[in-house]
Amino acid sequence: MANENKNNSSYRVYVFVFFSVLLLALSVWVVWDDEFGLRPWKKYQEDYKALKQDKLEKDYRRAVVDFQRAGGHKKLAELEAKLSKAEAAFQSKENQDKYTKLNSQFEAAHDVLTKSQKELRDLRGQFLETEYYYTKTQQPEYKAKMDVLQRSIDAVGLRVAAQQKVEESIKGSLSALTAGTAGIRAEIENMKNGLEEKKEKIANNGKFPIEIKQIHIKDIDKADRCQSCHIGIDGKSQVSNKQPFTRHPASFVYLDHHDPAKFGCTFCHRGQGRATTSAEKAHGNVKHWDEPMLQGDMTQTSCLNCHGDIKNLRGAESIIKSTELIKKYGCYSCHKIPGYETVGDVGPVLTQVGTKVNYSWAINWLLDPKKYFATARMPKFYFTQDQAESIADYLFSMSGTTRHDVDNTKNKPDAKLIEEGKALWAQSRCNLCHATGGRGGNNTKVYAPDLSKVGSKVNKEWMFNWIKNPNAYFPGTKMPRFRFTDEQINSLVAYITTEYQDEEAEYKYVQPAEIKPASIAKGKDLIQKYGCYGCHKLQGMEDMVQVAPSLKKQGVTFLRNTEMREKIGMELSSIGSKPVEMLDFGKLKKAIPNDRLSYIKQKLRDPRGYRLGLRMPNFRLAESEINELASVLYGFTDANVPTRFLVPSRQELDRMAGVSSYKFTGDFAKVIADVKCTNCHSIRGIGADYAPDLSIAGSKLQEGWIRNFLANPDVIRPLLQQMPKLGLTSGKPPAKVTMPKFNLGKQKVEDTNRSDVDVVINFFQQELVTSDIPKVLPQLKGTTQDELIAKGKQLYDLKGCKACHQVGTDGGALGPNLTNVGNRLTQGFIFKHLENARKFKPDIVEPNYGFTEAERIYLTNFLMTLKLSAK
Amino acid sequence: MKSLNDITGSVKKNLIWKSIFRRDYRNTVRDRAQAVFGNVFLHLHPVQVRESAVKLRFTWGMGGITFFAFIILVITGVVLMFYYHPSIDQAYTDIKDLEFQVPFGVILRNLHRWGAHFMVIVVMIHMFRVFMTGSYKAPRQFNWGIGVILLVMTFLLSFTGYLTPWDQLGFWAITVGTNMGAATPLLGYQGPFSEYLHITPYNDVRFALLGGAQVGGNALLRSYIWHCVAIPLFATILMFVHFWRVRKDGGISKPQK
Amino acid sequence: MNPFIEIITQPDNIAIVIMVFMVTFFMVWAFQQAFQNDRLLAAGLPVDGENDRFVDTFKPLVRIELIIAIVVMVGLTIWSIAVDAPLEEIANPTITPNPAKAPWYFLGLQELLVYFDPWLAGVVLPSLIVVGLLAIPYIDINPKGNGYYTFSERKYAVIIFSFGFFVLWLLLIVIGVFFRGPGWLWYWPWQEWDHSRVVFEPTRDLTALIGIDSRSLPGFIIGALVVGSYMVGGMIAPYRYWKKNNPELLTQLGMVRYVTIVFLFITMMAIPIKMVLRLVFLIKYVWITPWFSV
Repeated sequence: MANENKNNSSYRVYVFVFFSVLLLALSVWVVWDDEFGLRPWKKYQEDYKALKQDKLEKDYRRAVVDFQRAGGHKKLAELEAKLSKAEAAFQSKENQDKYTKLNSQFEAAHDVLTKSQKELRDLRGQFLETEYYYTKTQQPEYKAKMDVLQRSIDAVGLRVAAQQKVEESIKGSLSALTAGTAGIRAEIENMKNGLEEKKEKIANNGKFPIEIKQIHIKDIDKADRCQSCHIGIDGKSQVSNKQPFTRHPASFVYLDHHDPAKFGCTFCHRGQGRATTSAEKAHGNVKHWDEPMLQGDMTQTSCLNCHGDIKNLRGAESIIKSTELIKKYGCYSCHKIPGYETVGDVGPVLTQVGTKVNYSWAINWLLDPKKYFATARMPKFYFTQDQAESIADYLFSMSGTTRHDVDNTKNKPDAKLIEEGKALWAQSRCNLCHATGGRGGNNTKVYAPDLSKVGSKVNKEWMFNWIKNPNAYFPGTKMPRFRFTDEQINSLVAYITTEYQDEEAEYKYVQPAEIKPASIAKGKDLIQKYGCYGCHKLQGMEDMVQVAPSLKKQGVTFLRNTEMREKIGMELSSIGSKPVEMLDFGKLKKAIPNDRLSYIKQKLRDPRGYRLGLRMPNFRLAESEINELASVLYGFTDANVPTRFLVPSRQELDRMAGVSSYKFTGDFAKVIADVKCTNCHSIRGIGADYAPDLSIAGSKLQEGWIRNFLANPDVIRPLLQQMPKLGLTSGKPPAKVTMPKFNLGKQKVEDTNRSDVDVVINFFQQELVTSDIPKVLPQLKGTTQDELIAKGKQLYDLKGCKACHQVGTDGGALGPNLTNVGNRLTQGFIFKHLENARKFKPDIVEPNYGFTEAERIYLTNFLMTLKLSAK
Repeated sequence: MKSLNDITGSVKKNLIWKSIFRRDYRNTVRDRAQAVFGNVFLHLHPVQVRESAVKLRFTWGMGGITFFAFIILVITGVVLMFYYHPSIDQAYTDIKDLEFQVPFGVILRNLHRWGAHFMVIVVMIHMFRVFMTGSYKAPRQFNWGIGVILLVMTFLLSFTGYLTPWDQLGFWAITVGTNMGAATPLLGYQGPFSEYLHITPYNDVRFALLGGAQVGGNALLRSYIWHCVAIPLFATILMFVHFWRVRKDGGISKPQK
Repeated sequence: MNPFIEIITQPDNIAIVIMVFMVTFFMVWAFQQAFQNDRLLAAGLPVDGENDRFVDTFKPLVRIELIIAIVVMVGLTIWSIAVDAPLEEIANPTITPNPAKAPWYFLGLQELLVYFDPWLAGVVLPSLIVVGLLAIPYIDINPKGNGYYTFSERKYAVIIFSFGFFVLWLLLIVIGVFFRGPGWLWYWPWQEWDHSRVVFEPTRDLTALIGIDSRSLPGFIIGALVVGSYMVGGMIAPYRYWKKNNPELLTQLGMVRYVTIVFLFITMMAIPIKMVLRLVFLIKYVWITPWFSV
C-alpha cells in the first residue's frame, strides 16, 4: 500500500514539474510578446535612429570636407597663431600687474555691492511686513515705521546704484584689457560653430526616447499614434524614402497648413489611429474597423470634410477634377448632395422635344445614347423597345406632335449657301464648345453636345429658331445668341444639316403615325418611375417631387438648402461614412470585397448588379472615372468635424457677413443672358476659368481696345497657349483659341436705346474696376517724358524682359506679346502689375523683380509707347 | 550540502521567519494537522479527508476549479478597472487602448474574458457532478440551493460584463437579453396583464434594469456596478456559506446506503 | 473558408466548442462510473469510495489542488495567447446586426423564442428552471444513490435531469450558436449564411387545423380546453397510475410534493411538445387569449 502511494506521488511530481515549467515558459513568452511582439514601433524607432545617425554623420563629414576645401583649416591656423601672439602680449609683466590689480578691485567692489543689495532686500521685506500690519490694523505707529523704512530704502537704493556703476567701470577696464584675445577666440569659435553644431546633433540623436508618440485632439477624441512608426513624417529633412521613415509628401501644402498637432493624422487619412500593435490594425485593414486608411490622391477626398469650396485649393487638384464629374453627370439630379441643389438642368428641356427631333432618333437614343455618340452623358436605362416607344410617345404627345421623322437629306440646299455657312461656322468658333467627330469641344466646362450627326436628329425649322434665340426654347441654356441675321442662320443651318449627317440613320416615320393613349399612360409611368424629370425639364412635371437618396451630410452642411426637395436616388450625404453593415451587397456579397469603397465602385460600374429592382441607370463610366467619382463620394461623410476646422466657401462667408453674392444687374444682365460670357470667362467669381478672368478688366484694358477686340477677336498670347507641347499637361490637342465673334454692336439691347457693345463697355468701366489700380501714374519731378521712356527702354533691355516677351518679332515666347501693349492695357495696370504680378493673377509665371517705384514708372512709360499703328 | 543545511537552518531560526511560520515543520501528525488549521487559507479543509477527495474521479475538482477561476477573474478584473471608464464616450476606446497601450493589456483582457467563459462552463459541470453523485441529498439540501443561486450569479456576472466594452457584440447581446425583461408578466410593458398596472416602457422592469428605455450610458454604468461591485459581493458571501456548509455537512459526500 | 470552420473559430464560439468537448467527456465519465457502481451494487459489493480510509489533507489534498490550479492556469494562458478576445465596432443603436444573439449561455432561451412568446421563454420558463433546480433536493425523496454515481438506483431522476440539462439546455445552446444564422433561420454547418435568404413558412394556430378561427370565441374555448386538459390530465394521470401500482409512493410523497413534481415535469415536457408542434405541424399558438398566447 505504501509502495503504491509512493508511485502515485512520484507520478504527480512529474505532472507538477511539467506544468510548472510550462507555466514559467508561457509567462516568459507573455512578457516577451508584450515587450516586443506587440510593440513593433520600438524596432522602427531604433531603425530610424540608425538611419538618422548615418545621415547626420554623412552631413558632418561633408561639412568637414567643405570647411577644408574653403581653406578653413588654413585660416584657423592663422587665427590660432594670432591668438597665441595676443596671449603672449597679455602675459607681459605690465599687463599682468594691471590685470591682478583690477581683479582685486573688482572683487572688493562686488563684495560691497552684494552687502548693500542684501541690506536693500531686508529693508524691503520689513517694509512689506509693516505695510501688511498697517493695512490690517490701521494703527499710526505702523505708518510712521513705514515712512522711516521708506527713507532708508531710498538711501540704500541710491548707494546700490552708485556701487553698481563703480563695478561696471572696473569691469569695463578689465574687458578692455582682454579684448584682443577674446575677439580672436570668438572668431575661432565662430568658424568652428557650424561643425560643432553638427557634432552636437549627432550626440543628441541617440537621446530621443523610444516611446509611443501620440497626438491627442480632445474635442473629437482622436488619439493618433501613427508617428510611433512614421517617426520622420513631419521631419525637416528626408532621412529615408522607405516607409515608415519617410517625410510627408508635399508637406509644404498639407502639413504646413494643417499642423499635425491640431489635426492629427486620421482626420484626413482615416485608419485606426490608436492602434500600435500591427500595421494592418493601424491602417484599419481589419475586420470590425470600417475606416481603412486613405493613401495617395485618395486622401484628397478628406478635403471635402472642411473646405466648403475646393475651387483653386492647392493640393486638392485630384479631388477638384473628380468633383467636376459630379457636375458633368449630374448625380445631384437624383441624389441629395448638399452644395449641388439644382434639379432638371443637366439634360436639355424636353417640353417641346417633339418639335425638335425625329421620332426614330428618339427611340434609338433612349435605347442606347452612346450608340449615337460615344461621349453622350445620358446613361443607359436598359429600356426595351416597347418601353422606349412609350416614353417617346409620352414626350411627343406632350409637345403636341405625333410619331414623325423629317429627312433632311431629301432636298439638298444651294452649294453657295453651304459655303457661307461653313465660313460662319468657323468664324463663330462653334467647335470651341461643340465637338464634331473628335474635333473641338475644348471648353469642357460647358457641356455642349457632339454635332457630328445632328443633321439626322433635328429638323431644320427647329434649328433655325434655336440659333436665332436659344433662350426661347430653353431658358437658361449655355448656348449664346450670336446675333446672326436670318440669312446667316439659313446658311448655317444649311451647312450643318448637310455636313453633319448620320449615314446609318433610318427614318421609319416619314409618314407620321398616330399615338395610342395607352402607350402615353405607360410612358408617363416609366418617366415617373425612373425620374427623367431629375435631369430634364418636362411638361407637366415641373413641380414633380424628386425621389432619391443623398450623398453628403457633414462638412459643408451650412450649404444645405432648406428648400431642397426629395430626390429619386438614395441620399448620398454620408455615403463615405456609412457603416458597411448598412450596405446591401446582395448577390455580390461573396464576389467583391465587403468594404465601402468597393461597394461604391461596383455600384458605379454596374448600378443594377446588387439585386433585382434597382432603378439607377448605367452611365458606362470609364474605370478612371469610376475611381474619381468614388473618391468624391467617399469624402461625403458625417464625420465629427469641429467648427474650428471648417473653411466656409466664399458664398457662405458672404452670407454670414450679410453680403449678398454678386449678381449681374441692369442692361448688362440682359446682354450676358444672351451672350453667356461666363461660359468661358470668370467675372467676380461667377463663371468658368477657360478664358481670362474679367473681374478687373475695366481698370486693366483700354476702352478702344475692348471695342476693337469684341468686333474682331484675335489671339493675344498664342504661344502661351501652346504650353501643352511641352507635355506638361494632357488633354485635348490645342486648338487656336480665340474668342468667337458674337456680332455685338449690331443690335440694341431690348427695352433700351443702347447698343449692346456700349452696354458691355459701360459695365466694364463702371463695375469691373478696382481702386487698387490708379488711373494716372505718380509724377516724377525733373524728368521729361522722353527721358522716362529712354530709361524704361534701358531697364527693359537690362532686366532681360525680352527673354519671355516679344515685341515685333524680337523676343521670347513664354509671356504675352507686347507689340501692341500700349493700346491694350491701361498704364495704371502696368504700373501695379510690375509691382506684384501675383496680386491680380496668383498663378502667373512672371517673377517679381522688386522694381522701385521710379523704375516702374520708367517701364510703364516705355511700354505705353508700344503700339501697333492703326491700320 | 552541509552549508545549504546551515543556511536553511539559520533562516529558520531567524526571528522574522519564526514570526510568520511560528514553528518548524517536521512531518509529524501534529505538524501536518497544524499546517492545515494554522493556515487561514487551508483551514476550510478538515485535517484529514477521505481518499475519494484526493482522487480526481469522484469530484473532478470542479468546485475548486470554479473557485480558482473566480479568483483569476477578480485579480484580472481589478487590474482592468484601473484602465476603464464606464461611460459611453470612453469605454470603447479604453478597451482598444488595452491592446494598444496598456502593458500586458492584451493578456489581461483575454484572461478575463476566457476565464469568464471557462467559469460558466465549469460551474455547470460542477452542478452536473453534484447531481450525478446524489450529493444534494440529506443533509446537503440547503447547500444545493446555495449552489443554484451561485450558478445564477455566475451567469449574471458574465452577462453584465458583456456590455462593458461597449461594442456591437455586447450592445446587442444586452439589448436582446433585456428585451426579454420587457415581456415579464405584470411588470414588463410587453408582458401579459401589464396594462392593468399602467406599465409603460418608462416604468417597467427593463427600465429598472437599464436605467432607461434603451441601452445607453445609464445601462453601461449599471451593468458596470453590478459587474464589479454588487454581484461579486453577494457571490463572495454566498461562497463563504457554500464552503462552510460543505465542511459542516460532512465534507465531500460519501456513499450512504 | 468552410462556413462551419468559420463559425466555430469565432473567438467567442471557441468557448462553446470547449464546452461541448468538456461536457461530453464528463458525461461519459459520469455514466461510466455509474454503470460500474451499478455492477458492484448488483453483486452486493461496496461501491467506489464506500470503504475509504482517511488521509491527511496536508499534503496529498493540498498538492493535488496546487497541481490543478497550475494546469488550469496553463490552459487559460494558452487559450488567452492563442485567441484574442473579440471587440467589434463601437456600439451603434441604429445598426442591428443580423443575427443579434444573446450571450451564448442564454442562447437556449433565445432559441425558445421561436416556440414561445417572450413572456414564457424569457421570463416564466427561466424562473421555473431556477425554482425547479432549487426544489430538486426536496422533491427527490429517493434515499438511495446518496454520495456515489449510480444509474440503476435512481433511473427516473437521472433520466429527467439529463434530458433537461443536455437536451433542453446545452443542445439548444449549441443549436443557437452553430445552427442559427441571419433572421434566426436554420443553417446546416455546410451552408453559407445568406443575409437576403427568405424562407416562407406559413404557420397557423391549433384550432385552424379543424377550421376554427383561433381568435374567435370557439377557438378560445377549444384552446383553453386543450391547454387545460394537458395540465389537468398531466396532473391526474400519474396519480391514477401510481395509485394502482405503487400507492406507497404516493403516501410518501404527500400532496404538496406530488403537485410540485408533476407540475414541473409537465411544464418541462411542454417544451419539446411545443417544439414538435411548431416544427412538424407548423403550429404557432395552441391557445390565444386577449392577454397572452400559448
